[in-house]
Amino acid sequence: MPERVAIVGVGFSDLRSCTPGVSYKEMMFEAATRAYHDAGVDPRKDVHSFVCVSEDFWEGTSIFDEYVPDQLGAALRPVQTITGDGIQALCCAAMLIRTGTARVVVVEGHSKYSDMRTPHHIQQFAMDPILNRPLGAHANLVAGLEMSRYLYESGNTREQCAMVVAKNRHQALLNPLAAYGARITPDDVLAAPPTFFPLGELDAARPADGCFVMVLAAESAVRDMAGQPVWIAGYGWCTDAPSLESREWGEAAYARLAAEQAYRMAGIASPLRDLDFAELDDAFSYKELQHMEALRLCRPGEAGEWVEDGVTRLDGEFPVNPSGGSLGVGHLLEATGLHRVYETVLQLRGEAGPRQVPGARRGLAQSWRHVPTTTGAVIILERE
Amino acid sequence: MREKITNPDAIRTWPGKVPVEYVYTVGVASEPFFRALMERGRLLASPCPECGVRYLPPRLFCERCFSRLEASLELEPRGTLEAFTVVHVDLDGNRLDEPQAYGLVRIHGADTALVHRLAASDADEPEVGMEVEAVLLPPAERTGSILDIRHFRPV
Ligand SMILES: [Zn+2]
Repeated sequence: MPERVAIVGVGFSDLRSCTPGVSYKEMMFEAATRAYHDAGVDPRKDVHSFVCVSEDFWEGTSIFDEYVPDQLGAALRPVQTITGDGIQALCCAAMLIRTGTARVVVVEGHSKYSDMRTPHHIQQFAMDPILNRPLGAHANLVAGLEMSRYLYESGNTREQCAMVVAKNRHQALLNPLAAYGARITPDDVLAAPPTFFPLGELDAARPADGCFVMVLAAESAVRDMAGQPVWIAGYGWCTDAPSLESREWGEAAYARLAAEQAYRMAGIASPLRDLDFAELDDAFSYKELQHMEALRLCRPGEAGEWVEDGVTRLDGEFPVNPSGGSLGVGHLLEATGLHRVYETVLQLRGEAGPRQVPGARRGLAQSWRHVPTTTGAVIILERE
Repeated sequence: MREKITNPDAIRTWPGKVPVEYVYTVGVASEPFFRALMERGRLLASPCPECGVRYLPPRLFCERCFSRLEASLELEPRGTLEAFTVVHVDLDGNRLDEPQAYGLVRIHGADTALVHRLAASDADEPEVGMEVEAVLLPPAERTGSILDIRHFRPV
């Protein structure tokens, strides 16, 4: 039997809309120092392998994976970088441990979004060069089209999407890490200037800078550590056809399949009964509703009513994004999934302060790699 | 560990840019698609002999069942509007003087869809499910590009 794997330490660097006071390496050093202190490990002696996430074009450096070891204490150690979301790195780290390749593994992800002068050009460069790029349009037209199709198929409404924004930004006021907490109403969201109709300016998560580092350990190594372990019960990840021409537009199939894999591994038959809360991707307002349905938290077409009825509020029957989500916290590029896991760990340790979900025993974090991707990952965590 | 620059006058940045240029190989399956569009104003598609999915533009392989495909269907450039968006922002984040609508168009006889411009017309607010047709450039102006389709418009 493979050993169980726990997250035994977590660390962050402050999330901000811009961070001119530090370089990305210093942000990583700050988050790593916190995580190692939390776990009670020395990276030069106790850590066997390191897994990072990054994307060269976001960083402005080719072969960026070469630039990560020093500030993590990872020089002259096994290090690898995944061009995927942070939850995919956690899956990789868990596999390194479950296969017996390493007993203690560190995962890192960061965003230095504010260093980019031309982020929308970079994002458009991710689209098909022959069929899509010649149109010359901003890549978020993909989100506008998807929202149009999703609302048409599901029967959910723009008004219900606006309620997601108000809920998440409001919940973020209770999160000291969040860069975009605000007291706004659904009417404010609907009245904001249109950007990629049916999306308006407030329907999209705004970018933030920040870094997260996590320490994972095999069960046999956990007893030597200071940190309170939170156990990984299941995980999965999935990519749909990337092409705009043949992908699924109404339903988030990548999220449904990633969740099915994670539910199977965690032995979860009824997600709503077996989970206490979820941190779901909400890079755009409609995504939270689409992902709730894909993860079988509710039936297709029901997510809108749930948000309307307050079911997914922090004080509702099934809180979604107690952290404030990406809408409230900020979009963190590849580190986005790690932020969701960070919140899940705090909730399960009972350390979420004023936004604590009472009695939380098991939670789920899900990520999506943003426009124009169809990649998503899911991880399920539980306390003893 | 938490040292930060606190004097804004002391903050220094270094600018950088990278010139990026490529050519992209269209490939065996798409070459005839662009030729048919340029020469005959028709759209080619490749049906999968195994699972039946009809790909437009054509592909050499089926993404669902991994079969090898051939572009054997020739279709009229008309279809159904599956979704639409109106873009108000350009690639530098500035607001456009004229918003531009885009549609996801499923061509009749194909199972996949094209993303393309949608003609603006006050009389015809785009509506999911409406019938649209491609407006092509005049034959002499076509270059074998997806932009040989000027836009789609309501029928
Ligand atoms: Zn097939």
